[in-house]
Amino acid sequence: MDIYAQNILDRYKKPYYKKNEMGRGAKSCVTNGVSSFFLSHKEANHSCGDVVEIGIEFEDGRVKEYQFSGNGCAISMASADMLGDVIEEMTEGDILNLTKDELYQVLGIEISVRRSKCALLPLLAIQNGILQHQKKTLKSWKDYHI
Amino acid sequence: MNFRKDFPIFEQHPKLVYLDSAATSQKPKAVLEALQNYYVSMNANIHRSAHFLAEKATIAYEATRQTVADFIGAKYKHEIVFTRNATESINLVARSWGEAFLKTGDEVLLSKLEHHSNLVPWLQVKEKIGIQIKYLDIDEAGQLIFEESQITKKTKFISLTGMSNSLGIITDLKPIIAKAHEVGAKVLVDACQLAVHSPIGVQELDADFLVFSAHKLYGPTGVGILYGKSDLLEKMPAFLGGGEMIQQVFEDHFIPGDLPSKFEAGTPNIAGVVAFKAAIDYINSIGFEAIQTKEMRLAEHALEKFKTLPYLSLIGPQEIENRGSIISFTMNAVHPHDIAEGLSQKQICIRAGHHCTQPLMDYWKLPATARVSFAFYNEMEEVDGLVEGLEDVYNYFNSF
Repeated sequence: MDIYAQNILDRYKKPYYKKNEMGRGAKSCVTNGVSSFFLSHKEANHSCGDVVEIGIEFEDGRVKEYQFSGNGCAISMASADMLGDVIEEMTEGDILNLTKDELYQVLGIEISVRRSKCALLPLLAIQNGILQHQKKTLKSWKDYHI
Repeated sequence: MNFRKDFPIFEQHPKLVYLDSAATSQKPKAVLEALQNYYVSMNANIHRSAHFLAEKATIAYEATRQTVADFIGAKYKHEIVFTRNATESINLVARSWGEAFLKTGDEVLLSKLEHHSNLVPWLQVKEKIGIQIKYLDIDEAGQLIFEESQITKKTKFISLTGMSNSLGIITDLKPIIAKAHEVGAKVLVDACQLAVHSPIGVQELDADFLVFSAHKLYGPTGVGILYGKSDLLEKMPAFLGGGEMIQQVFEDHFIPGDLPSKFEAGTPNIAGVVAFKAAIDYINSIGFEAIQTKEMRLAEHALEKFKTLPYLSLIGPQEIENRGSIISFTMNAVHPHDIAEGLSQKQICIRAGHHCTQPLMDYWKLPATARVSFAFYNEMEEVDGLVEGLEDVYNYFNSF
């Protein structure tokens, strides 16, 4: 049996960024002239019960640290973990500009229609986390055209 | 007996192991031929045009109504209303009966087993007129826990499933219906799953309303059935407005038509209704005794095999009694989606998710389960193939 590509399975089994408890990090502070803040946001696929909460610490406008917690299938959990590689050093704007195709490319496997929400749940969580922080309208699945 | 040959999808997919019949059944050749035959030999709009084709189509459409009435033991043919699906049938009752006869503070009794289609329409009535919604609890096997004190003078309507689509448990409705009628409450039975696995007698059951859908019963999609006692349907206001459901229309008012057309606004799914007769004829030709025997043998075999896999947990009833051929389960440390994905690679189709029963999943504190559902076209070897597939999935996720 070979359900998923090895990279997906590896990141599902041994994630780099997964935490059991979401750290709350530094809340909007300035230390020695360096500004930092932490945001977290949770999204769920109620149809399959997958839940992903992401947390990002920004320092001087760029991602300093990423973490996530959650429960779900191999694709959603691997995607949440691999997202951490993608957003390294990114600005809020860079993250909001990320497309589903860019994430699919990183996952490196064909994502079927029935699994697209699994793969994109972490992207929805991170983009809505930033939009919420910016006090803008949150995204929903229709914005991803799936 | 092997019925696989009656279902053309298995010719297209010879290795297909279809264990998702509770979501929708496969369709026998007779139904597909009836669909085509309708369009080829009698396509016309029913009940209105004065030509021979319309006559033929109307006769075929109404023949299904009689067949359905006989199938569930209804007293009158006009007690059968065709809708788009069972969901629409429940909405029709909630909107029409509910909004006409329920008042603020009245109680509607549901259960923790219900499908969203038997929850949301009542929650919508609650939003609109402020009724109270109460729930019957379930025990560990998934059976309803019912005490007569749960039905009071305040209880005006009870809407319950006859068989859980998530757990497979067959509910014991007769004492509930008897008590309901003592206080004058009406009862709707959601028979979407029950109607597939067991003969139904609406008069014996004394249900006021009963709903099911054609597509789970080997018929086409897009056809739902609402049975309602004649005197109740008579008193209910029309649901959707439009053509067919009226007697007379004036600039400032309308007079609704007689039963059942009062509830069948617009051109219905004529082809679907006509072909549904072929599905019921097909089921009747096999007989429920043979269907049940086959399905319960499959379910029993699956239950026995599942119990030998220490990493599987059965959700709901553990035994073969009081259930249909639906089994829900979880696998240690493997998400139901991943189970379904792995099995899909072997052309084994199962369902993974909350099965449109989120309150039930919350009750069990589960985000989702995997669910297999057997029909009489499945074979014992398919159960064995499923079990091998489950072992492979478990080993795959636990091999390093």
